[in-house]
This record gives sequence, structure tokens and C-alpha cells, in this order.
Amino acid sequence: MSSAISPRSRRPEGGLDRRSLVAGAAVGLVVAGLPGRAASETAPDLAQLIARVTEGVAPERGRITLSIPALAENGNSVDTKIAVDSPMTEADHVRWIHLIAEKNPFPDMARFHLGPRAGRAEVATTLRIAQSQKVAVVAALSDGRFVMTDADIVVTLSACIDGG
Amino acid sequence: MAKTGIALILALSVVVVPAGSALSEIKSGSEFLSPELRRQQADETRNPAFFWVEQGRELFSRRPAPDAQACIACHVDPQQKLRGAATRYPQVDAATGKLLNLEGRIEQCRVERQKQPAFGYESPELLSMTAYLASLSRGLPMQVKTDGAANPFFEAGRAFFERRQGQLNLSCQQCHDGLVGQKLRGDTISHGAGTGYPAYRLEWNDVGSLHRRLRACSLGVRATQFDYGSAEYLALELYLAGRAKGLPVETPGLRR
Amino acid sequence: MSFNARITMPAQAKAGEIVEIRVLTRHVMDRGGQSDGKGGTVPRKILNRLTATYAGEPIFRFDMHTGVSANPFVSFTTRAVATGDIVFEWREDGGATYTRTARLTVT
Repeated sequence: MSSAISPRSRRPEGGLDRRSLVAGAAVGLVVAGLPGRAASETAPDLAQLIARVTEGVAPERGRITLSIPALAENGNSVDTKIAVDSPMTEADHVRWIHLIAEKNPFPDMARFHLGPRAGRAEVATTLRIAQSQKVAVVAALSDGRFVMTDADIVVTLSACIDGG
Repeated sequence: MAKTGIALILALSVVVVPAGSALSEIKSGSEFLSPELRRQQADETRNPAFFWVEQGRELFSRRPAPDAQACIACHVDPQQKLRGAATRYPQVDAATGKLLNLEGRIEQCRVERQKQPAFGYESPELLSMTAYLASLSRGLPMQVKTDGAANPFFEAGRAFFERRQGQLNLSCQQCHDGLVGQKLRGDTISHGAGTGYPAYRLEWNDVGSLHRRLRACSLGVRATQFDYGSAEYLALELYLAGRAKGLPVETPGLRR
Repeated sequence: MSFNARITMPAQAKAGEIVEIRVLTRHVMDRGGQSDGKGGTVPRKILNRLTATYAGEPIFRFDMHTGVSANPFVSFTTRAVATGDIVFEWREDGGATYTRTARLTVT
């Protein structure tokens, strides 16, 4: 677990602190309130995790819509939808979509393999998010390029934990 | 007429509020969920608890042993005949004078009539059977009896609800009447209506009974956790069901 | 009943139409690592893969790790091409497999 003095929990520059993020989530302003980020500003750990799945190629930002709650009701099951803007033809389609949670014990969460027969590059699943962090999506395109996006998620602990 | 109505409401509020429950205001647990989770509750393609309902339906129709009758042999057409049954639990068993919840009634049938070993509280089988039978009353208002033979149990449940307990020295009432709608870390404090149970709780990754939920409450205030099916939780279950009179059964619920 | 699945999709579609397939699965998706009470740890036991084939051809594969929830939900799309079975196969840690089939009639 990262502690307050761990470098991993260092606040990204220009980011909001947790308190204002929670307060913002309460009024639904988190997404609107977050400053736009270029790929170069991604924290190093996440960049390494992404580079591993793209074999070193730097993905471009964009073309992906990641719908994930800014404030999860419970990290055990977080509804996540991903849509990639792609014609999904033989010549131009999404090959796979990969989900990464940098602070999960096992950061690679899942990969969806698609092809032109999908018709649309739209998938959804329920994820386990261990703690508040950034969730990244990388999509591999048929021309060999990669695209990505990411989103911050706040995971609160349930007050009513189970005593069995 | 309108004036009488207002006078009556005032009179009622004087009587009811000191007793600790503004009955007309009790809201279902699902009212305190996100709209998304509330929508998923009734969606068979999203709420995993429907797997337990399905398992319960199968158990209900299957002979538990070659020489034993299936539940459905007596309870023919459960969709019709048992619709509404769950709205009347917990109830006092006429023969023994004991308070039985739905789990208790299922176990009684299984042991006394089917001559089978009890499933055991919180076993997947009992949870499935309970979820199935309660689901047959989905949408119908709770209508437990709280008078007559049930009254001593109801009052015992009320006393439990109002009594301060545990290291935090909190009563159920202090939060579940006094602070409803407020936040407790990631949770929103509800009225403690059990109308969705057995429910799939994200915290559990599983379906659990109301008593499992109550044990988590007891732990939360660092009070004694009573056993599954204990007299204390049964009485509390009746009190909560009495408070929730008129609220629809939502089983199988989906909760945080 | 440690495994079960509910597949939701239209029974019929027009040729060329894109249909959405929703799959809810009953599985504990045990991440493992807990003490087994005998000095060891419980091994991971999750569904690690779901594949879907339509009229014999693979159309979708979902690789799951421990970041996928218990009793997972997944949805994806496919273009209706011909009347045929969509076969879903799950692979569990340890090698067990589970199969379900749904028919799509193309008009």
C-alpha cells in the first residue's frame, strides 16, 4: 500500500487534491474541473505500463471515450464503458482494447480483442479498482498505431464493512 | 375535512415522533443508491442476485431426496399462490409461538415436512430459496403483523433499535432516524429498511441475508454481533419490517 | 452452482445490423493469496478468458485478470451476417471450461 510519503502517491502537478476531488464529485464537477492533460504529463509508472503493452510505441491521445464514474460507489465493481471512434472495417479497425489501473496489485485488468465483425468498437465491463487512481485505456489499431485515454477515479471505502 | 386531516397529522406526529419512527417517511434502501445502481437492481442482465433466484427456483421444484417431496408438490403454482407470502414475514408461528422469518419458515418446512437436514443459515441454498420466495412478492407492499402475538417481538425489536450499544455507544435510531441521508464515509445513511434482502452487496461480492447485514451494523458500532437467526436479530427484523410497512418488496436487491 | 451465465441479445436481426450482446456471469473470481489455514495460500481461481464464435468464426475474446469484478458483466457488439449459433466459452484457472450457446436468426 502506498503511504503519504511514498513517491507513488505524490500528487501529479496541476492535479486536484483528494479533498477537492471528493467535494467536486459531490456536485458532479470532477470531469469538468480536471485540467486537460497531454500524454507527456502522465505519471512515469503509468507510462511504463502503457509502453509495455504497446511495445514501446507512444500512443496518441484521443479517439476513445472512457465512461467510468469519477466517484465509485464501491471499488469491487465499477461499471466501465469504452467506445473507440473507428469505422471497424477490414482496412481500419480496432484490434484490441487494454485496461490498466496503475495502483491495482496487478495493473493489467483486462483486454478485449475485437475485429471488423464487431461493427462498432464499443465494450463494457465491471472492474475491480483497488484505490483512488488513474485508469488508462489503450487501443491497438489495425494500422499498427495506438490510441489512449485515461480518467481519474476516487474509490471511497465503505463505512459499513462486513464483519461476517 | 382538510382541517381534521391536518389536526390528525399533528396529533400523530406528537405520538409517533417520540416513539422514534416517522413511519410515513421511511424510504427504501435503494433510494440511497446512485441512479445507476438503482436502475440495475431490477435488470436481470445486470443484477447478479438473479442467479440466486434462479437457483432457488430450481431447488424449489426438485426433490431433495428420492423419497422426499419437492416443495412444489405442496406449493403448486408458486407464482400465484406464494405471491405476497414474503410480505407477511417475520410472523409468529401459530404452532410454536416462535417468531419465524422467511429463512426460518423454509428451514421448518425442510426439516419437519421434507425430513431433510436443515440447509443452515447463510448457506447458498437457503439464500437462494429465500431470494426466490421473496422475489415472488416483488413490488407488493410489506404488511407484517405487529399486533397481537407479534407485539412483544415487535416491541423487543423497537427496544433493540433504540438502545445504545457497543463501544461507540450508538443506537440504531441515532443514525437511521436522526441522520438519514447523511454521509458515513462512502455510504449514505438509510432508514434501515430490509425490503431488498437477500441482496447482492458490492461490498460482499455475493448475496447475503438481512442478518448478515445486521451483523455488519453491529460490528460497525463495535457491539456484540448476534448469531444468524438469533432472537435479537429476528425481533429487530420484525421491527424494521413494521417500520417499512407499505414499502414494496425489492428482493433480490442490489446494494453498495 | 459456482458458474452460471445469462446471455442477453436479440433472437433476430436483419443482415448487416449491429447487435449488442450482454453477458452476466456467476463466478467468485477469486484473486487468491489468502491464507489457506495450513501455512500456504489459496491459489488464484478466476475465469481468465471468454471467447465468442459466431457461425464458427471467432468474433470476440475477453482476457480477464484480477482487475475484473466478481460475477462479471461484459458487453460487446457483432454484425449479423448469417443465421447461426454464437458459442461462448469460458476458461477458468486450472483448465476447466464452460460453454453456452445462443442462436441468432438473421432475416
